[in-house]
Amino acid sequence: MIQTIELTKKYGDFTALDKLNLSIKEGEIFGLLGANGAGKSTAINMLLGFLNPDSGKVQINDIDATKNAKDARKIIGYIPENVNLYPYLSGVENLDYFCRLAGLKYSKTELQDFLASCGLQSEANDQKVSAYSKGMRQKVGIAIAYAKKAKVYLLDEPASGLDPLASKELSILLKKLASEGATILMASHDIFRVREVCNRIGILKSGILVKELYAKDVSANELETLYLKFMQN
Amino acid sequence: MFQIIKNEWRFLVRSRLLIAISIAFVSILLLSIFLGNYQTQKQEQTYQKATEHLRQQWVSIDAMNPHSAAHYGTYVFKPANLLSNLDEGVNSVTGNVLRVEGHVQNEIVHSEASQMQAVSRFGKLKSALLLQYIVPLLLIFLAFNTISSEKQSGRLKLLVLQGAKPLEIILSKTLSVWLYGVLLLIFVVVVYGILNFQNLTAEILTRTGLFFLSYALYYFIISGLTVFLSARWQNATLALTSMLGIWILWTIFLPNILMSSAEKWYPLPSRNEFQSAMTEDRSKGLDGHNPSDERGIALEEKVLKEYGVDSLSQLPINFDGMRMQADEEYGNSVWDKHYGSNRNILHQQKKSFQLGGIINPFIALQNTSMGFMASDNLHHQDFLLQVENYRRVFIKMLNDKQTFGGSKTGNWGWKIDNAFFKSVPDFEHRPTQISVVLSNYIMDVSLLILWSIVVIALIFFGTKKIKIV
Repeated sequence: MIQTIELTKKYGDFTALDKLNLSIKEGEIFGLLGANGAGKSTAINMLLGFLNPDSGKVQINDIDATKNAKDARKIIGYIPENVNLYPYLSGVENLDYFCRLAGLKYSKTELQDFLASCGLQSEANDQKVSAYSKGMRQKVGIAIAYAKKAKVYLLDEPASGLDPLASKELSILLKKLASEGATILMASHDIFRVREVCNRIGILKSGILVKELYAKDVSANELETLYLKFMQN
Repeated sequence: MFQIIKNEWRFLVRSRLLIAISIAFVSILLLSIFLGNYQTQKQEQTYQKATEHLRQQWVSIDAMNPHSAAHYGTYVFKPANLLSNLDEGVNSVTGNVLRVEGHVQNEIVHSEASQMQAVSRFGKLKSALLLQYIVPLLLIFLAFNTISSEKQSGRLKLLVLQGAKPLEIILSKTLSVWLYGVLLLIFVVVVYGILNFQNLTAEILTRTGLFFLSYALYYFIISGLTVFLSARWQNATLALTSMLGIWILWTIFLPNILMSSAEKWYPLPSRNEFQSAMTEDRSKGLDGHNPSDERGIALEEKVLKEYGVDSLSQLPINFDGMRMQADEEYGNSVWDKHYGSNRNILHQQKKSFQLGGIINPFIALQNTSMGFMASDNLHHQDFLLQVENYRRVFIKMLNDKQTFGGSKTGNWGWKIDNAFFKSVPDFEHRPTQISVVLSNYIMDVSLLILWSIVVIALIFFGTKKIKIV
């Protein structure tokens, strides 16, 4: 579960995030829509504990993440827009390395299984990551969180720059994770992908959550119209 | 921490460029060790040949007046030093040959630098040259983007999210880079050990161990500082530029500025001033070759009184030899005064230069490197002192033979046979033991340790402010 209560972040006179209240349940995928600079990444960085809020609180499952970021991070998986892995390591080696940092030791077969679960073709397992496409790196990134047994997934513009097939595969993967009980927050400005993947959607404008709705209640076109209306006002 | 170090080393091992650079550098290091060894062996052979030749000349003196033999004199050669394979120190500029004779203390001459322009301009290719100048540069190039690249790529977030602490990451990266330098150092020391296996002694091993320790500390300072800057600055270029600036300041400008300052604060007399002062002081003393010299006459009266005789011809000894020795002893006291003063000035210069290590650890490294490899000025001065002590024993033996060998005063035609010349001992160099001179380098080693602690403190306290995003 992800919960933010009156979460606020200011940079001098500029308010990057203004009293954000969110509540995302287990098994739910929440899409945070917003233009560049709307405060999506600020919100994610505060959820990760990399930025301290000026006021408000973050709750990740039972953990008060504003006070105990280290414990919260143990159950969070984070997939940035560009998953920059170590190019001189293979997919398996990257996964192994990040798992070991988290204190997890898996056999090669187990690591391969994690990668397969996240949709990486088995032929790519032992290839150097420098030869991977962006989509393949995303899959390894998700596998890192998956192998860590993350309960919460935070994705910052994950579909940006992905080809349609890779984007579709990502959607399937996220739905699979949610069906397994993961809580997912996906920040994006890709209206159609968010509409397709998420259960609930929030529109963030200038740090304020201006609208919250269920994806099933709107069509992609209606969502676009709504989004543009908020952006233009 | 181990995982991060292991990962850094996987990068080093898998980077073709780094492997190529490492192979090239190790080849140059190998060349420097072999060349150093070859030069020392060659120098040792030349030394042996020259020493034997001169000894042969000396023991072949058929019959000669002892004081004439004192003027004939001999030569002492500075022996090759096995340790200077690694660091030549001041050896190539200080000279190798010293003429030993009566009445005068000669200067050591025939330095390699005076005979080879390349040596005087660029120094000799010794491992220390590469270990002091090039290895730190390699470490800087390895470390300058270790943290900034993690930050810029966003991997730092992932690493922290996986449980790695920023301090742990920075320390691990520092240790990885430092290990690279230490491995090069181990390589040099091991190859050196293998090449000289038969000549290794506890003294050489101790000195090499201390040499290793100083370099290991200096490499830690360089690695830690570079990784720290990489973590603190927002981009890698700034970290690289800062470290290159520090490298230039530490290795090129500060040593020259500090040495010049030390020479200004404690100036040595010029060669002419030194010689003039010596000549002036000696002119006030006894002239062994001048029977009408006032001090000579006073000594003559004293000796006649002691023996209870009225004239030199009644003496059972040869007063000429006694006067020569008195002349010698006066000359020795003059030399002790002036040379001692020079030694004091050199000591003060060294002390103030050593203090430069407070702002520049490279100075401390240079001092320990030369010192532990027995090739600094302190060891050179010790050699000169040993030669002077030998000269005094050598000349006294000849003068005593002139005095008490059975000749009479004024009998300059008297000669002693070959057996005596054979009994005169040859110069035997006793290498300075590290236990005797170690106290001279405690300040340098302490400063290197202090610098390492400062770098650790910088990493500990400075990284708390590092922003992950």
